[in-house]
Amino acid sequence: MPEPDPAAPIEPPLIPTTTLEPVDLVAAVEGPEPEAARVVRRGRLGVGGVVAISWLVLVVALALLAPVLPIDDPNTSIASIAKEGPGTDGHVLGGDGLGRDVLSRVIWGARATLLLAVCAVLLGLLAGGALGLVAGYFRGRADTALTGLFDVLLSFPQLILAVTLVTVFAGGGVSSTRRMVVLILALGVVSIPVLARITRASTLSWCQREFVTASRAIGARNRTIMIGEVLPNVLPAMFSIALLGVAVVIVAEGGLSVLGIGIQLPTPSWGNMIAEGRSDLRDAPYIVMVPTVAIFLTVLALNYLGDVVRARFDVRESAL
Amino acid sequence: MASTAVRRKWFGRVAFVLALAMVAAACGGGGDDDGGGGGDAAGGDEGTPTPGGRVVYGLEAETTDGWCLPEAQLAIGGIMVADAIYDTLTRPNAEGTYEPWLAESVEPNADHTQWTITLRDGVTFHDGSELTAEVVKNNLDAYRGTYPTRAPQLFIFTFANIGSVDVVDPLTVSVTMLEPWVAFDAYLYGSGRVGIMGQAQLDDTQSCDRNLIGTGPFALTDWVPNQHFQAEKNPDYWATDAEGNQLPYLDEIEFRPIVEVAQRENALLSGEINAMHTSDPETVSELRDRTESGEVNGYESNEFGEVSYVMLNASKPPFDNLKARQALAYAYNFEDFNAILGDGILTRATGPFAPGNVGNLDDTGQPAYDPEQAEQLVQEYEAETGQELSFTYTTTQAQATIEQGQFLQQQAEAAGMSVEIVTVDQSTQIDSAIDGNYEAIGWRNHPGGDPDTQYVWWKSTPNPINFGRFADPEIDRLLDEGRTTPDSGERQQIYEDLNRRFAEELWNLWVYYTPWTVATAPEVHGVPGEGPSSPEPFPGLAAGHLVTYMWVDQ
Amino acid sequence: MILRRLAHLVVVLFFVTLFVATLTSMLPGDPVDAIAGFASPEQKEALREELKLDDPVPVQYGRWVRNFVTGDLGNYYSVTGGRPVMDRVRDSLPVSLQLMVEAQVLALIIAIPLGVFTAYRAGSRFDKSANATAFGLLAIPNFALALVLAYYVGVRWGWLPVSGYVKPSEDLVEHLRRMAMPAIALAVGQIAVYMRLLRSDMIATLQEDFITMAKSKGISPSRVLWRHALRPSSLTLLTVAGLNVGVLIGGAVIIEVIFSLPGIGTLLFEAINARQYIALQSLVAIIAVGYVLINFFVDVLYAVLDPRIRHARA
Repeated sequence: MPEPDPAAPIEPPLIPTTTLEPVDLVAAVEGPEPEAARVVRRGRLGVGGVVAISWLVLVVALALLAPVLPIDDPNTSIASIAKEGPGTDGHVLGGDGLGRDVLSRVIWGARATLLLAVCAVLLGLLAGGALGLVAGYFRGRADTALTGLFDVLLSFPQLILAVTLVTVFAGGGVSSTRRMVVLILALGVVSIPVLARITRASTLSWCQREFVTASRAIGARNRTIMIGEVLPNVLPAMFSIALLGVAVVIVAEGGLSVLGIGIQLPTPSWGNMIAEGRSDLRDAPYIVMVPTVAIFLTVLALNYLGDVVRARFDVRESAL
Repeated sequence: MASTAVRRKWFGRVAFVLALAMVAAACGGGGDDDGGGGGDAAGGDEGTPTPGGRVVYGLEAETTDGWCLPEAQLAIGGIMVADAIYDTLTRPNAEGTYEPWLAESVEPNADHTQWTITLRDGVTFHDGSELTAEVVKNNLDAYRGTYPTRAPQLFIFTFANIGSVDVVDPLTVSVTMLEPWVAFDAYLYGSGRVGIMGQAQLDDTQSCDRNLIGTGPFALTDWVPNQHFQAEKNPDYWATDAEGNQLPYLDEIEFRPIVEVAQRENALLSGEINAMHTSDPETVSELRDRTESGEVNGYESNEFGEVSYVMLNASKPPFDNLKARQALAYAYNFEDFNAILGDGILTRATGPFAPGNVGNLDDTGQPAYDPEQAEQLVQEYEAETGQELSFTYTTTQAQATIEQGQFLQQQAEAAGMSVEIVTVDQSTQIDSAIDGNYEAIGWRNHPGGDPDTQYVWWKSTPNPINFGRFADPEIDRLLDEGRTTPDSGERQQIYEDLNRRFAEELWNLWVYYTPWTVATAPEVHGVPGEGPSSPEPFPGLAAGHLVTYMWVDQ
Repeated sequence: MILRRLAHLVVVLFFVTLFVATLTSMLPGDPVDAIAGFASPEQKEALREELKLDDPVPVQYGRWVRNFVTGDLGNYYSVTGGRPVMDRVRDSLPVSLQLMVEAQVLALIIAIPLGVFTAYRAGSRFDKSANATAFGLLAIPNFALALVLAYYVGVRWGWLPVSGYVKPSEDLVEHLRRMAMPAIALAVGQIAVYMRLLRSDMIATLQEDFITMAKSKGISPSRVLWRHALRPSSLTLLTVAGLNVGVLIGGAVIIEVIFSLPGIGTLLFEAINARQYIALQSLVAIIAVGYVLINFFVDVLYAVLDPRIRHARA
């Protein structure tokens, strides 16, 4: 058994949380059994998994198809349905404070919110994954430097970092596109260390395996080994965390919307629908409830699937 | 980081003259009062005021820059507070003319080139110092920019007509004008912005904005910005009510800024606050219903009213171009706006003069909703300038105003324009207007009274108060005529022409006449209070109201 | 070993403060315009000199650190002059700390008994439903929960006040009443995490020999649970709770804004709306530095307490 690397901070397994920070247990403790573990070990996805995947497929499909679906324009006000509840005039989910169709807005909201979440996490995956791979594979000085970088990034309260970046670079009066780009970059940057750490830990573990040692022995190039042999094995770990990451970004966007710096109005997002609907809770609570339920179900599904993937591929950072 | 000297350089900006002297004005203004809403009459049928108690008053915004009056930028939230801490030398009566208030008398000479202000005897400031002619002179000098420690920017323009201010005797001040100034007594009220500060506050170079020393009914005890402004009863207050009872009735008043109107209303209904104001149409409409059912005491007033509008910056693209302004006007569907955001209670504003004010017209020629015409104008603009018709709309972060902004955005984009909404807090929004750092901005202004008080907003000469930055020779000419014409029939004609000129040039997009409401818990009374020398108060709410006469059932 | 951590801390603090100190120079356009757009050209020149934004980055950084450490957090710039940021911060910091600590305490009070029982009855229906509920709770976006709570509990049913803050020294009961909903909103996400953490630790501990011995001695199950098993199992939980205080900062900002609590989060929100970039910079710095320091202390504390770590590092 290889010696535990004294330089490595002892990593905890990850537990889904509602914050951008993985709960950091400074101990070699086996984390709580992922919820889905028992089910999965029987080799089935389970009802829960099927439901979760179906929901996500539905949401993604609706988001992608939004422009061609037979729904109202999300930004057009219809006076007769303003603050009128579900079922009015054929509008299944009613109208919001400005008379815009809520069903349409929640579907377009899915589009904007998921676009943001997926792109941000992709950025984190690409950058964080690459850095983590390099750190775990080469170790030594590169590793120390990169781990230091991750630590610095993680030392910033994640939401505060996002708030700061968005305020400075896309404060007020900027175009929707610019705000979206800055949001993706900010939330992506914030996801990098999380994904980098898991990738690194996983890489470290896989690099001890015989087939890697063997490849090195026969003189294969580092890049080939990294991408060809290590990466495929590290992907499940990255993927499970990525799923959790998407959930976290969805919630973070909502928080930013409450502060006024989420996805730019009038483009709907689940977060800004909730922030806007707040003043109408008395007369029209569904304006807040509909996007809240959407977020709840999506986050639930993502957390569950993240757990499933982890259990299936036995993802533990501390397997050293 | 900052040295004292550099910090001092920051004093200097805008005295948000918003109706400084504008607001209500003397002379034949007013007009008949078919505008008033429901609610309490002053005193009278509410019963006898009982002393004691506390009012917590929900305001629509915080005045983050404080109350160094000559330099302050007071919107209505700030005026409400200033009215509690300070007194103005004059204030309006039930007819909208001006009577002395802190002063004993305010009299002009025959040709209005000299005004004599006689002060009441025995009035003291909150710090114990006496109200003397010297202090009043220093205040007036501070407003007009000749007092060393203060550097106002807007009031200088407003009071530019003052030649000199002299102390005649310990209780008399004489103000000499460069040109005859008929409406000077109106300017001494200035919507409650021209309060008289204590000498110590005048001379305070560090914290004039928050160490407030006035003669008013309440004295500041604690101000935490965005949380609360607490003031307690001034035991030596000089004023009494019509029956001779000592004012104020309340022991304590707290002003609490609650930006979100839904939250403010909830706070009133749940008892967290017991008074609030609002101009949000949906809330005004709801409060009407709640007043009828007895849940709250509501006082609504449309008299001497003001106008809510989109102010356009004529000094830069796109609104330096008439076609762009016209496009916006044609694109605006007021019917829908009123139905969705106005609960159907709003009256379309066709000009700056609200019903009952001189100059008001039902039809000024302001374009009505015509989407094809709007689209066409947008295309013409783009062909002419080679630029896309795009602009930013600046508003406060209150959800209600953001919704109005989004509505405007929808309408404008339907016609082919592109709009971005900028949200800031109210103080920053005011800064933006003053700076010219905006293209379109949601605004409220021009409360009723003598239309000559609007002069400073619209005159084109290098004028820091013309936030719209337009230069219209026709409007200039009409303003000058209106100022110097005594005949009321002619004046009406002049201001009606002015009104039509606005509709022609579309310097602003007038949207609706602002409905103001003050709602209190059922046990709180005294809004709008009493007049300066009689129980009948000035009925308008566009410049706030005195809290002096408020009382709580014991 | 402490030295290593200390060095690590210094490096992290350096980069964090460097980033924050250079924030205003990252503003698009001329920073002076952004900070004080309302000023006249002469005033802007004076401000540029005062802030010395043209100095090289190391000099600016050194000055910023010196100022920060001595409590000079810059000013709010306005038409009527500048007001020091420190004044507002002094009053707000305790409020935010109280909120985070109270949320943690609340979360622990609920999570510990739940963790204990679900561990004791691992596999039972109670355990399964508690786990499922915890899992579900994690998925609720806490800002939405806060808004809904604020309206229904605060306004509709009027059980608790919705806004405002009262110092605990002035009126403890009122203070708790006003902090109740914010603390609940902040705690909800943590309850699930803590419960599951404690549960897994407890399950492991309950299998140990000394527990079997205690049971065989005839000690009652509840004593075994609370007296003997809880303490060794709670180390991880307490560490996480400690670390989480920092993590809660992001959530706390939003909760403070929703409930109008006069803490650092609200100040941050105000600075954003008022475009007060200097104040924003200082507030972010305080939050970031505080977070780093809290993490550091908890790290050290944990390392000192847990012998496994000390040996692993040896």
